Amino acid sequence: MWRYLFRRITLFVATSMVMMAVLFIATGLFPADKAHSLSGIQYPTAEQQQQIEQDYQLNDNALLQFTAYLRQRLSGNLGISSNSQQEVAGELASVLPASFELSLFSGFLAVFLGVPIGVIAALSRNKAIQHSILAFTLTGYSIPVFWLGLTLAMWFGVNLGWLPISGQINLLYEIEHVTGFMLLDTLLSDSTYRIPAFHDALLHLILPAVTLAVLPFTLVVRITRQAVISVMNQTYIRAAEARGLHTFKILIRHAMPNALIPVLKSIGLMLGSFASYGIVVEVIFSWPGVGSWLVSGIYQRDYTVIQAGILSVSLLIIFLSILIDLMHTAINPMSRKELYASH
Amino acid sequence: MPVIVKRWYQLISICISSMLLAACGQAKLPSGLVYCSEGNPESFNPQLVTSGTTIDATSNQIYNRLVNYSQTKGDITPGLATQWQVSEDGLSYQFTLREHVSFHKTHHFTPTRDLNADDVLFSFNRIIDPIHPYHLVSRTGYPFFQSIGFAELIESIEKVNDHQVIFHLTRKDASFLSNLATDFAVILSAEYGYRLLAQGKPENIDYYAVGTGPFQLSQYVKNEYIRYKKHPVYWGPTVEIDQLVFDITPRSTSRIAKLITGDCSVSALPKAAELAVLTQHPDVLVDAKPGLNVSFWAFNTQNPPLDDVRVRRALAHAIDKQNILEAVYNDTAVEATGVLPPASWAYSKNLSPNEYNPQKAIELLKQAGINQLSIDVWAMPVARIYNPSALKTAELIQADLARIGVKLNIISYDWSVFTQKLSASNYDSVLIGWNADNSDPDNFFTPLLSCAALASNNNRSRWCQKDFEHLLTQAQSVSTQPERKAFYQSAEAIISDQVPMVTLAHAKKIVLKKKNITAMKIRPYGGISFANTMQTSEENE
Repeated sequence: MWRYLFRRITLFVATSMVMMAVLFIATGLFPADKAHSLSGIQYPTAEQQQQIEQDYQLNDNALLQFTAYLRQRLSGNLGISSNSQQEVAGELASVLPASFELSLFSGFLAVFLGVPIGVIAALSRNKAIQHSILAFTLTGYSIPVFWLGLTLAMWFGVNLGWLPISGQINLLYEIEHVTGFMLLDTLLSDSTYRIPAFHDALLHLILPAVTLAVLPFTLVVRITRQAVISVMNQTYIRAAEARGLHTFKILIRHAMPNALIPVLKSIGLMLGSFASYGIVVEVIFSWPGVGSWLVSGIYQRDYTVIQAGILSVSLLIIFLSILIDLMHTAINPMSRKELYASH
Repeated sequence: MPVIVKRWYQLISICISSMLLAACGQAKLPSGLVYCSEGNPESFNPQLVTSGTTIDATSNQIYNRLVNYSQTKGDITPGLATQWQVSEDGLSYQFTLREHVSFHKTHHFTPTRDLNADDVLFSFNRIIDPIHPYHLVSRTGYPFFQSIGFAELIESIEKVNDHQVIFHLTRKDASFLSNLATDFAVILSAEYGYRLLAQGKPENIDYYAVGTGPFQLSQYVKNEYIRYKKHPVYWGPTVEIDQLVFDITPRSTSRIAKLITGDCSVSALPKAAELAVLTQHPDVLVDAKPGLNVSFWAFNTQNPPLDDVRVRRALAHAIDKQNILEAVYNDTAVEATGVLPPASWAYSKNLSPNEYNPQKAIELLKQAGINQLSIDVWAMPVARIYNPSALKTAELIQADLARIGVKLNIISYDWSVFTQKLSASNYDSVLIGWNADNSDPDNFFTPLLSCAALASNNNRSRWCQKDFEHLLTQAQSVSTQPERKAFYQSAEAIISDQVPMVTLAHAKKIVLKKKNITAMKIRPYGGISFANTMQTSEENE
């Protein structure tokens, strides 16, 4: 296992390096001076120019430039935003938690609603329930997220006026930035409006989270259903049934652990599209996370922000994919066997 | 099996009902008002800018001026100065300052004294005196004051005693008091200024602003919000709002959505086409007044081929303004025949405007010996009062010009990048406009088309003409309205003939607000003010 872990970590480092190399080359292609696109300083003073040239070794060959670039980025120097004149790293740190909050909440919605519904779809003998769940998930899977977001906003926000459709919280609540997770921050704040603020933040979260949850939810339902059906046909389940175990117990003890393995794997595969859907949802609902930050950076030609946005999102995806891969191997006896057999 | 299914049903129904409960519960809000604004302010000192977004966020909230306009009559009324005398020759103005006016107490600064003459001297000397320690702190200069030649107008400012100041002018200027009443001529704290200077952080004066206004700046998070607190010891009428928040929402649809869902109570600059949706929501009121503004298409008259007046005339004849009024403004604007809007007292109908006539345009181009003309137009990316969608306007103009065989390339950047590049770059033409700062007609000519404005980069046409300049000076030196009107009409005729810009429309000023917001008056000029706004408690939510 340790060896496997080591191999995965090497894979993580190698993939990240390739990704950063691509980003570095792309940075060179921006229609701006290289010093500007790397540091974000558009009109540097002579002193700053010298500092930039030294930091990024702009007078050396491409390989040395790349190592200098790696050194700067990995030490946390993401340059400054040419638009706001603030450190990009600081801005990134202030927008990341909002994105995490949204995606964690959607992820939980998808898994905690998706798995039970998938199980129902697999076990229900009622054809109508089966078909309606399948039809619903197929529809959900094929609806483009931007359309869904706008439609939900139109119905629940504009026409009915039930749910807020923009931002994280009503700004009259003055919530101090502690963790960056608005739901936690409202509870941590010492304002007298703590509970109404939490409530308001929750209302703001519903529509974006539901919109973002639809795609993973439908996938989770379909894959759970398939996995449960195939597991329930295994001989060991029949053996358990023959011993007279309660169906619920069979399901929880014997079927689910095996059925959830492919679900986990599919979540790992879905991360990329989940992230890009997240960006779209953030833009639609003006959610102040990495996605809307990145998109406004693109509009404003803020090269350092574009790099930092892409870098953080893709590093996160690489990291999480490998983490899920590891978890998958750790809990799946089958792949462990393969692993041992391979050497 | 049915047992399991039943349990899941229970679980799901519990989940769903708890979510619905969460959705329907009663929310209690802290008292305050949220205004959905359209963009980030560039600074917190209106002396340094001309952009309406910055003016809205600062001028009437954080600061006061020496004198104000009466919102109803367009007269000058007392502000921080309680009274003033003009000398016989019109060359000196003596102001008596209000007593017991206190500055904001913020995290960074605790004032030790009330407003006095030093603050007035500090605020204006910063603009006019090139060796003033704060003069060069502004990287953008003082565009409004430069565009009206303020430094040349003021000979000196004299402190008589703590509550008396005299402004000595170099020439008579009928618009002087009007200019002091504009949103730009705010009074800063000299004490704060010198303390920052001693701390070596003079640039903070424009960001961590301190003024005498009804609200004090509490927190600013770029792209998200600006938070103000009520000034507890404001000299004027008691401020009814405890907390004022500007929710920065660049997209017009989002602003309307926030207004409907109650995330903000007041919003501005709706796209005309989006107003229809508000008819379903009776708790949102649409307040529209004829505005003192003009949107125009300015030609860079220093760039060939636009330096040729025949080309400019041709382009003016090629544009179907009615079409723009319908498509962009949804008929919430009137067609512009000149620079002055009908709401100005100096307006009279232009009898010889450059009418829509593509045939004439083609002939004019032929006379100028130009074929295969291709020009760039820069279109503002944000909605302004005078033009809710410059991009759409640009596309309509593009179609109009295609009809006379001229190719138009549309260029756009994000707003702050746009204004920066506009001051620096070599553009062909730009779609922009002007929202008056006061009701004086001079405000439409001097800041936009004078030679002084050329130097401060506010003259988007980069046009400077002697006869025109002479007319403006003459109009300032006489004081009766009919005389001045005659001069401004001649100025209009020159613009119509020389076409440094094609004026397109005068838009109505539209403010959207919740029904429970009262006593909020819209002025036809200048920025928004929340000082007297009142909010009745929300019964329906």
